[in-house]
Amino acid sequence: MLSLQPLSNPKPSSLYSSSSSFTPPNSLSSKTLKTPPAFRPSRNFYPSVHSILQYNRKPQLAGDTPRVVVITSGKGGVGKTTTTANIGLSLARLGFSVVAIDCDVGLRNLDLLLGLENRVNYTVVEVLNGDCRLDQALVRDKRWSNFELLCISKPRSKLPIGFGGKALVWLVDALKARDEGVPDFILIDCPAGIDAGFITAITPANEAVLVTTPDITSLRDADRVTGLLECDGIRDIKMMVNRVRTDMIKGEDMMSVLDVQEMLGLPLLGVIPEDSEVIRSTNRGYPLVLNKPPALAGLAFEQAAWRLVEQDSMETVMVEEEPKKRGFFSFFGR
Amino acid sequence: MATSIWTLQLHTVSVPLRIPSKAVDFRTKYLFDYAFWRYTRKRTFKKLGVVALGDSFTNGDGKNSKNLPDEVMVVKSEKRSLPVLLQQTVTKLQESVKSLPPATLLVKKHSGVSLAIGLSTMLTLLVFMVRSYLAKRSRRNRPGSVADLVRRGQLKSDRRGISNPLKYDDPFNNPLVKVSKSNSTVEMCGKVYRLAPVTLTKEQQAVHQKRRSRAYQWKRPTLFLREGDSVPPDVDPDTIRWIPANHPFATTASEIDEDLAQTNVYQKHGVPFRIQAEHEALQRKLEALQSVSNHSP
Repeated sequence: MLSLQPLSNPKPSSLYSSSSSFTPPNSLSSKTLKTPPAFRPSRNFYPSVHSILQYNRKPQLAGDTPRVVVITSGKGGVGKTTTTANIGLSLARLGFSVVAIDCDVGLRNLDLLLGLENRVNYTVVEVLNGDCRLDQALVRDKRWSNFELLCISKPRSKLPIGFGGKALVWLVDALKARDEGVPDFILIDCPAGIDAGFITAITPANEAVLVTTPDITSLRDADRVTGLLECDGIRDIKMMVNRVRTDMIKGEDMMSVLDVQEMLGLPLLGVIPEDSEVIRSTNRGYPLVLNKPPALAGLAFEQAAWRLVEQDSMETVMVEEEPKKRGFFSFFGR
Repeated sequence: MATSIWTLQLHTVSVPLRIPSKAVDFRTKYLFDYAFWRYTRKRTFKKLGVVALGDSFTNGDGKNSKNLPDEVMVVKSEKRSLPVLLQQTVTKLQESVKSLPPATLLVKKHSGVSLAIGLSTMLTLLVFMVRSYLAKRSRRNRPGSVADLVRRGQLKSDRRGISNPLKYDDPFNNPLVKVSKSNSTVEMCGKVYRLAPVTLTKEQQAVHQKRRSRAYQWKRPTLFLREGDSVPPDVDPDTIRWIPANHPFATTASEIDEDLAQTNVYQKHGVPFRIQAEHEALQRKLEALQSVSNHSP
């Protein structure tokens, strides 16, 4: 869940020794903030720093905007929509403008997860038909005003699939040409399966996040989907392993994250532990990352969002739970 | 007075005294200290003896009875005058009760004043509490107050008074994420996890990519046809996707043509296309109706 780098690293701007796709700071877009040097802790300054990463630093946006990321998996129910909602709101909290497109045409749920279900009046189908303009169909989140939701269609209406994929490309172009400026991220929540909806959803994407769980059914589907994405020309694919239970991994009842990586051969964007808070936040329509105090899964989502911004991947993974070392006097109290 | 009350209490207890002491011991009803029991018993006996002595004096054989031991006296006196003794103790009790100052009088003496004082104190306290509660409620409800801002999530209560606002929470430098000095473990949300390095290399990634490219040959479908439609002549059959007529959400039929849809998506300002079209149609209809009505008379 963490990617680490010792403090003595000569290149402090890229905190975690990043993958090859990391853009050096010189070629960053104008939106990227330079790290204020005053906040950069050094070993001399903070001798007993526990967290090796920098304080109050904004992640540096790598790549060209808008970054169109499709969040997909072959299998259903592995957490695509949850990932989209949490990563999207994390990105918005980090100060990036985000448009989340719910491409799950038949079974859309992203609006529910974000608690915006009562505010979706128009969808892309209405925009295509000319019933409304695109800016009317975008639903702005009131909690983080740089986050917008766009639904493809209402549950009962049918999407004209003849130009579904093209419609998404037009959407991205239209979002680029907006007066407010280009959004930093366009996240596409992909439907399950490899049906017409999947083909539509992956059309405008440049990169993909593959969500999978550590079980063989999900892994087989993930491998197939990765193959299809690679055939379609999307090369930048990172995987996110969801619903990991370290206690089961320790008992060898579940594949570890490293096993999953060995089977799929994809760089890791994040590892999300199984957390009961996920269900609770889903039912409340309040994404996990906004929880105070943060839940374990929420922290993992935030870290994954951070890595997504920097086009980074994990260097180290949490494998198992160790019993906490307790002090000599710990029996006196907690 | 106190002794008389004692006598009464012990007399009631002393009724089962004739039962052998072993039996009394086993009764749960009389689970008091055995030593105390014995002591009281002896005292009662002495008392009874004295009473009996008084009786014997009245009978006239006082000289002999003076020298007799207590126990014998007790037996005799108990045999003779138990009802008398009971009567006496009851009268003593009545006397003692009479001699006590009446409690109601004691209360009544100052009752009027103290009751008023108590009531007024209570009332004052009640009023004070209600007022403070109302004040607190109104303070909380005042729109725009700091408490209101905190409640609405505009202001973070834990960061009040800190001049530079924290725009984002660094998920890595969270107080809930602590990495050990040797970088081998991490503590998140109070649980310690062991860290293992990722071992995937570029070569392995390339091998996996090659494997997948061999396994999955796929072309993205560009043409969507309804079942029963004829295939156009110059189209690669791999890129055709057949959509069943009863597909739940996808349809090949569309009311508007592609160019129009594209302009609809790109439209930034003004009235949307269909709204305008409907409006114009209505207006045309209205004009036609008006012209008809103008011509007819």
